[in-house]
Amino acid sequence: MHHAHIDKFAYQDSHVHRLDSRVKFIVVLVFTAVVISLPATSLSILACYAIGPFAILVLGGIPLRFALKHILVVSPFVLVLALSCPLYDKTPFAMAFGPFTWQSSLGWMRCFTILGKFIVTMLALIALVSTTRFNDLLTGLQRLGLPKLLIIQLGFLYRYIFLLIDRAHHILRARAGRKLKNLGAKIELKTTAAMLGSLFIRSIDTAEHINIAMQARGFDRKWRTISRLQVRSSDLLFAAITALFLLGLHFLVRPLLH
Amino acid sequence: MSKAIEIENLSYKYPDGTAALGNITISVEHGQTLALIGPNGAGKSTLLLAMAGFIKGTGKVLIDGLQINRKNLKKIRTSLGACLEDPDDQLFMPTLFDDVAFGPLNMGLEAKQVKTRVADALKTVGLADMADKAPHHLSAGQKRAAAIATILSMSPKIITLDEPDGSLDPRNRNNLIKLLADLPQTLIIATSNMDFAAAVADRAVLLDNGCIIADGDAEKVMSDSKLMTEHGLEVPAKLRK
Repeated sequence: MHHAHIDKFAYQDSHVHRLDSRVKFIVVLVFTAVVISLPATSLSILACYAIGPFAILVLGGIPLRFALKHILVVSPFVLVLALSCPLYDKTPFAMAFGPFTWQSSLGWMRCFTILGKFIVTMLALIALVSTTRFNDLLTGLQRLGLPKLLIIQLGFLYRYIFLLIDRAHHILRARAGRKLKNLGAKIELKTTAAMLGSLFIRSIDTAEHINIAMQARGFDRKWRTISRLQVRSSDLLFAAITALFLLGLHFLVRPLLH
Repeated sequence: MSKAIEIENLSYKYPDGTAALGNITISVEHGQTLALIGPNGAGKSTLLLAMAGFIKGTGKVLIDGLQINRKNLKKIRTSLGACLEDPDDQLFMPTLFDDVAFGPLNMGLEAKQVKTRVADALKTVGLADMADKAPHHLSAGQKRAAAIATILSMSPKIITLDEPDGSLDPRNRNNLIKLLADLPQTLIIATSNMDFAAAVADRAVLLDNGCIIADGDAEKVMSDSKLMTEHGLEVPAKLRK
């Protein structure tokens, strides 16, 4: 069965794909921190910040539609937060777009800024996961000092989540094939509980088999891996360009827009 | 020289009291390819688990001259590689490289040696250019080959394979037969596919209800139509008269 992998473009080959995962992760982390810390009234500058992740998506050959689709999927959570701003902050605020000016409230300004920050940081995050293989990202995070146990858990999650989804689909299909009429809420609930139970038992079964497979290959509770990551001059150049981009926006563009 | 596998009077009961293996005695020479044949629930997988030291019954099990016990387990796991029925259980790491490297790393090998072993194992199974692939991006045939590579990288003397032909199409099954035929190791293959067993094995052990019913030359055992039918099996196409 085919799944909509978030990292389905990570297996492409481009200059951006070849960059070290640690460098990309740190760059995205710093970029996100900078964007989040922008004042609530800095809507116009956000468009300039968007150039960064947009350039990475283009250079990495990631379709913009793919990125926007994923932003839309998670947007409801942020929309609730953003749309609540105009309700509690009605301080008058003059908005301007090119030659047009109009009166609005600070709440609406905050609302648009939150949405703008969300889109820009999500673009950066999608640029990271779409140009970095999940395994490289995990190895990078491990090398950056994240607890090994968390890395192992994430690795297993990534490896088996698709298998679990497949199994759930199979069970749902088996039910759909035999469900000829609506049986009422009580029976439906009972059936759902049985299906979840079956999925749970099969997951435990899989876990036991994996444990056997690990022990058969000499696993002694010490997790050993080989890291093939290497920081090269191209990675340093990428970090330098990002730093210049962020500094340029902060010291040159922001004063102009103010 | 010690035998690859020596099992004497092995019996095993599941925790609920059901007898899974009854008084099994087998001796396997190095280099032999033995097919454990039998209907579903005959005890084939349980016997493979006992050989790899995952279950402990009564009786004696020696792998490459070493009795299975806590002290010898690490050495035994180096000389006997167990390949599970479902490749998705065998391939648990995020990439094929990491999966094939998992065993050699646990053996304490240096990174350089591990990389060489991974490259060799992947080349042997025809997946040399797939090292960076995630297991869930592989086809069923590739997953099966990859699962074997995870064992080959440990250079074991004995390999046990549980239903290795399961869910494979004829082309992938033929590829697997060729791959197994080229392996120098002692192979113990549990299967209920008689055509597959006839194509790979030189010796067959027929199990049913946890007991050995027949043991001998693969063609001789599998061409006995009465014996095969009695135990829910069939004579392989190539041996049918």
